[in-house]
Amino acid sequence: MIPEAQFALNRRQFFGQSGLRLGGVALPYLLGGAFSGRASAASEVHPALSGFPHHKPKAKAVIYLHMNGGPSQLDTWDYKKDLIKHYDEDLPDSVRKGQRLSTMTSKQAKFPVAPSKFKFAQHGQCGRWVSELLPHTAKVVDDIALIKSVHTNAINHDPACTFVFSGTEIPGRPSLGSWVSYGLGAETSDLPAFVALMPRYPKDSNGQALYSRLWGSGFLPGKHTGVVLRSAGDPVLYLDNPPGVDREDRRALLDTLGKLNRKSFDAFGDPDIQTRIAQYEMAFRLQASVPELTDISGESKATLDLYGPEVKNTGSFASTALLARRLVERGVRVVQLMHRGWDSHGNLPYELTNQCRDSDQGVAALIQDLKERDMLDETLVVWGGEFGRTVYSQGTLTKEKYGRDHHPRNFCMWMAGGGIKGGIVHGETDDFSYSPTLDPVHVNDVNATILHCLGIDHERFTVRNQGLDVRLTGVEEAKPIKAILA
Amino acid sequence: MTLHLPPICLAVLACATLPAAAAEPLSFNRDIRPILSEHCFSCHGVDSEHRKGGLRLDVPEAAYGEGKSGEIAIVPGKPEESEIWYRIATDDDDDVMPPTKIKKRLSDAEKQTLKRWIEGGAPYQKHWAFEVPKVGAAPAGGHAIDSYLGAAMEGGGLAPTAEADRSTQIRRVAFTLTGLPPSAEELDQFLGDREPGAYERMVDRYLASKHYGEEMARHWLDVARYADTHGMHLDNERQMYAYRDWVVGAFNRNLSFDQFTIEQVAGDLLPKPSVDQMVATGFNRCNITTGEGGTIPEEFIFRYAVERASTTAQTWLGLTASCAVCHDHKFDPITAKDFYSFYAFFHSNADPALDGNALLTNPSIKVTPPDYDAKIAAFTKRTADLQAKADAIGKEVASRYKDPGDSLVPSRVSEVEHVWFEDAFPAGSKVTTQGHPLAYSASPAPVFSGNASIKRGGPGIAQDFCENVAPPLVVPQGAKFFVHVYLDPADLPKEIMVQFFNNGWNHRVFWGQDVIPWGKAGTGERHRAGDLPGAGKWVRLELPAGKMNLAPGTPVTGYAFAVQGGTAYFDKMGMVGKSDPAGDPTRSFIVWRKAAAGKDTKGAPGDINAWLKEGPDKERTPEQLERLKIYYLQHVCAETKPRFAETAGAIAAVAKERSGYEASIPSTFVWRDLPKPRESFVMLRGAYDKPGEKVVPDTPAVLPPLKKADPDGRATRLDLANWLVSRENPLTARVTVNRFWQQVFGVGLVKSSHDLGTQGDLPSHPELLDWLAVWFQEEGWDVKKLMRMMVTSQAFRRASAAPAQNWKDDPENRLLARGPRIRLDAEQLRDSALFASGLLKMQMGGKGVKTYQPPNIWEPVGFRGSNTATYRRDNGDALYRRSIYTFLKRTAPAPFMANFDAPNREASCFRRERSNTPLQALQLLNDVQYFEAARGLATRMMASSTDGKERFAFAYRVVLSREPSEEEMQIVGAFFRKQLEKYRGAPAEADKAIKFGDSPPPAGVDVPELAAWTQVANLILNLDESIVRN
Repeated sequence: MIPEAQFALNRRQFFGQSGLRLGGVALPYLLGGAFSGRASAASEVHPALSGFPHHKPKAKAVIYLHMNGGPSQLDTWDYKKDLIKHYDEDLPDSVRKGQRLSTMTSKQAKFPVAPSKFKFAQHGQCGRWVSELLPHTAKVVDDIALIKSVHTNAINHDPACTFVFSGTEIPGRPSLGSWVSYGLGAETSDLPAFVALMPRYPKDSNGQALYSRLWGSGFLPGKHTGVVLRSAGDPVLYLDNPPGVDREDRRALLDTLGKLNRKSFDAFGDPDIQTRIAQYEMAFRLQASVPELTDISGESKATLDLYGPEVKNTGSFASTALLARRLVERGVRVVQLMHRGWDSHGNLPYELTNQCRDSDQGVAALIQDLKERDMLDETLVVWGGEFGRTVYSQGTLTKEKYGRDHHPRNFCMWMAGGGIKGGIVHGETDDFSYSPTLDPVHVNDVNATILHCLGIDHERFTVRNQGLDVRLTGVEEAKPIKAILA
Repeated sequence: MTLHLPPICLAVLACATLPAAAAEPLSFNRDIRPILSEHCFSCHGVDSEHRKGGLRLDVPEAAYGEGKSGEIAIVPGKPEESEIWYRIATDDDDDVMPPTKIKKRLSDAEKQTLKRWIEGGAPYQKHWAFEVPKVGAAPAGGHAIDSYLGAAMEGGGLAPTAEADRSTQIRRVAFTLTGLPPSAEELDQFLGDREPGAYERMVDRYLASKHYGEEMARHWLDVARYADTHGMHLDNERQMYAYRDWVVGAFNRNLSFDQFTIEQVAGDLLPKPSVDQMVATGFNRCNITTGEGGTIPEEFIFRYAVERASTTAQTWLGLTASCAVCHDHKFDPITAKDFYSFYAFFHSNADPALDGNALLTNPSIKVTPPDYDAKIAAFTKRTADLQAKADAIGKEVASRYKDPGDSLVPSRVSEVEHVWFEDAFPAGSKVTTQGHPLAYSASPAPVFSGNASIKRGGPGIAQDFCENVAPPLVVPQGAKFFVHVYLDPADLPKEIMVQFFNNGWNHRVFWGQDVIPWGKAGTGERHRAGDLPGAGKWVRLELPAGKMNLAPGTPVTGYAFAVQGGTAYFDKMGMVGKSDPAGDPTRSFIVWRKAAAGKDTKGAPGDINAWLKEGPDKERTPEQLERLKIYYLQHVCAETKPRFAETAGAIAAVAKERSGYEASIPSTFVWRDLPKPRESFVMLRGAYDKPGEKVVPDTPAVLPPLKKADPDGRATRLDLANWLVSRENPLTARVTVNRFWQQVFGVGLVKSSHDLGTQGDLPSHPELLDWLAVWFQEEGWDVKKLMRMMVTSQAFRRASAAPAQNWKDDPENRLLARGPRIRLDAEQLRDSALFASGLLKMQMGGKGVKTYQPPNIWEPVGFRGSNTATYRRDNGDALYRRSIYTFLKRTAPAPFMANFDAPNREASCFRRERSNTPLQALQLLNDVQYFEAARGLATRMMASSTDGKERFAFAYRVVLSREPSEEEMQIVGAFFRKQLEKYRGAPAEADKAIKFGDSPPPAGVDVPELAAWTQVANLILNLDESIVRN
């Protein structure tokens, strides 16, 4: 466990230390000029906790693509080619085994089997079966480790999302990104260690709510909260100077403020004053680094083409995916991208087609882009929702139209990049995609795997809170998924 | 007394597992329990389910006894005969304890400490916080707190700093007790009072301030997890701000803390609880709830009870009882059965599992003021009197009424005018406006008749319309509409239009160009009646109803006036129709009854509606018939209705007044139990669907027993509340004084203020904590007295400026050798900036307000169906209220709060972090709230004096309660001159800078100068000294 005293030792910092991850994209012009040599930025770092990482990390950063609402595994990755034979038959009791259902369908008189209406084909050298809805991702399957047997405890969105990101259904715990920020610190002093992004999603889809706790720091210090980079208004809150105030004014103000605050430090002796001086200087730097971050005019045509035409629309999935790469490139540790609208209870074929069209190219482009830049081997990319969807139709079933209710017993996630073996599949489900039949993987195992790739032993990463040694991966035993590790 | 930790350990006081220096006598609680708790209890403690080898080390009887293996774990005085010493010391991987697979190892020092303890007879102590606090005599002389602290400080080797200067003292007190800086008057009064006792008098003034309650409540509301939304899924608004206001009021009237406790935990069970006491029970309705479809009700009923039980235990007992939800507590002596017995007190609230996403989820009450019943009775009487008057008129009118539908009455066909609009839309209809606000204009503006006309205009299409007119306006035979229109010659519209609603807005007529694109052209949906009438005069426009497809008998329930691209006045609108009274339901009672048969009559009272529906052939008693007829004559009959206009108008006015009064009274969530309590069980492994042993409400066995009001009956929450504040309870008073201490000094005497259990930190000054706890109870749980006691101590009054050694040796200031210096909380920061600006509005209480918030805080996370998906900012005073009244949406809290560590209130927060980040710097520099406040302060600076130095001094006094030094003036002065120069050269920039925010800058001001002073004020409000309680 980490004694609470260490909180005090670490509360002095926010952003990381060592500048940009890739030397080629340094921002010398930002570091020159008005404040070069001024800020004691180098001493105000946000280092890893002592003893971290526990082992040599394979990945330095994580991009977590959260498909919020629960994508249907049956229509994307979990191909059941014989299911068509059972079209409209009642789901056999031998499969359901009396498992609990959400009360949205538990009163249904019948549970008619709804085979996917979408075509599947094999792709890549690994021959992965992929739905026609994901033509772009299908091209990168050899980089992907698909997990077909993920399961979770919760059956409704709010608790399930909270579970995926904090290891418990009850609000109040730190989120994955804030754990990582807390443990590993940051690699940049120009940007936050943990960033949350929320792209737009198709307007006809059933978008569920998000909660700030999904990127919150729970009982960890507030500085580990994910900073939301916004697609409208200031990209970082309060980043823009007030009207009529320019950068030169701010420099003059900060110079004066620094002088007066240093006098206060001399008078009071409170070391927090020095931290505050440094944080004001970092704020000033942030005002330059964020616009640079979001300006994609320097991206090549080839790169932009990879992400597709939507990349030029701020807030689109494609532009957000590109932003994720740019963030990681600049040393951000965790990027959590939350794409809403995957909760298809009614007209699933229509909504899911839109969801996939909205995101597929951006997802695939991100993998390819990272790979081309030699960044994929040190960036872990995770894709998945908070649960899966039922094989039986919610509401009326036709060949063209059906809905699916929440299904926590098995769903698909995938990982790619740093620390992960590509082109493999892990776990299997029964003929109805109703229960895992091989290698079940709990969402806490997924989180343990993410931490493992980052060089963290999840069992040793605990923080004392309310009398418990709390860890991200919960009380029950969890373990990294060895089979998919490179 | 001595500090319970050796001085060398000050820097790591938070870490409880410190070996005592070899020379010191060992204390079980200080030295041994932390080691056993950390390394042994999880397998050899309270938790029977996970206990290994049948061995318990948490109680002496078990530890000294023979174990399952036949070995004796601890033989007092003889380590070599004690099995645990062998297991600890051995190199044998199979025997060593803790087992090799456990990664936490015992250090050598810890091993030696255990050995010394066994050698010394292995004495046990009950966990300190479970013993009733006992107090010896306070150290002699001076303030009790200082006596205790002073003794400890001598041991700590740090010299106390001198008393802070007076301006620092008053600012510290003002923030601590009211969350605001001192006003100029408060400052002058204190600085001018040179008599002994000036400080205490100043403290008393702040304790008496109504803002004291606001500051105190803010801390309690973190504990109570109060917010304005449900917290899960849709996160819709909930209405329980009356609870927040109750807390403010309770602190202000200095409700004793024991009563404060009882009312919140069990106010509903008090004999004849007052509205106030019911409102207080909102404490345990503040928890987050869900309305998510698909939720399994049993699961959430269970969860809510767990949450409420845990929160209550933690708030008053400082115990992290929730560990025992799944299993016996591993460290604290709380078994799962203890937990579920406690939970049973909270398991029977009458609230549903799903909150329905409703503003009010029952049980709720109207928060009626004391004179509510009298007010309502007065309304009822006024209505009854008026109704009696109307009925008297009705009888008289009825006696003369001759029904034209009666075959005996001769027919009189005539032309009649029905006026639909005169002075206002029909009473009770829903009026909506698109374009500029609804404007009735009276003379000298053009008015055709009556007192007012309606003025309509604005760019593009603008309209005023009414809906839900009841009873409907019925189109008579051969009707022709007329409306009086006056076109503004200076702002001539392109088109004017009148529309009618009958199952849709499908009936329109217009004059002028065909530019309003509504309905199908050339049909009754969009009929052109001619060119625009002449401007600058009243013109009566007419058209037959037939062209608009309004057949005789059509009920019209709404109409609209629309204008495109100019201004028009509308007045007296209505219809002229032929009236054959013999067939007209608005003339003939008989015809009306026939027409109303078989359907519902809108607006009619229930019995009348039912009689009408049954048709005229159904036999009625003479009384019923008379009632029907009087209703008709009063509300329907065109001929007789005007006779009732006065009383009807008066009744409507009373009804409106009454509904306005009712609407002004909020409702709030309260606690009420189900008539029959739910059965409660130990839930195995914390699963909602795995009941184990049945339990009844009870308190944890390790604590003193509960006294039940009815010894043979089931324990009640009131029993529990009384037990919480009983003198036998060792925890509540300690937990409470510790939390107030934390509020005043920044860190609690027990740093883990949420946990006084065995895993919590040890108190830095245990004897002081106990003394305060006992004193607090003996003084009748008087919170103001306690606050006064703390802020009048020398420890609180000391200078926070201290030598480097002091900061280094005692970074958290646990010894209090220097005064507390802590960053202001989120609310204090915003409130003090507003205070300095002169913009702060001190109005207390009421619905949460929506102040400035950057765009896209709610929207990106909001659920489409949620009523908090879109942020609609308030205007005017609401922007400048104290932060405690800010609307708090749990899933997307206001960034100005969250950025400074305010919790999102999803769960209780007992101690806020005080972080220091660049995002905070950006907020304080750039957020409109702070920059507007800077301009407000700059405006006040300019008004204070014409002299620049005086202006600096004014700002320093307002913000820091002190005068600036000469050097500071020079530094700030240089900045001011630079900014002034810039803005003189760029007046447009200056203009922008002073117009940020809704409040207008003063008229006739030197704009570049105000802009430069605004920059200075922005600077001063960002000084470290300004954002810290020094």
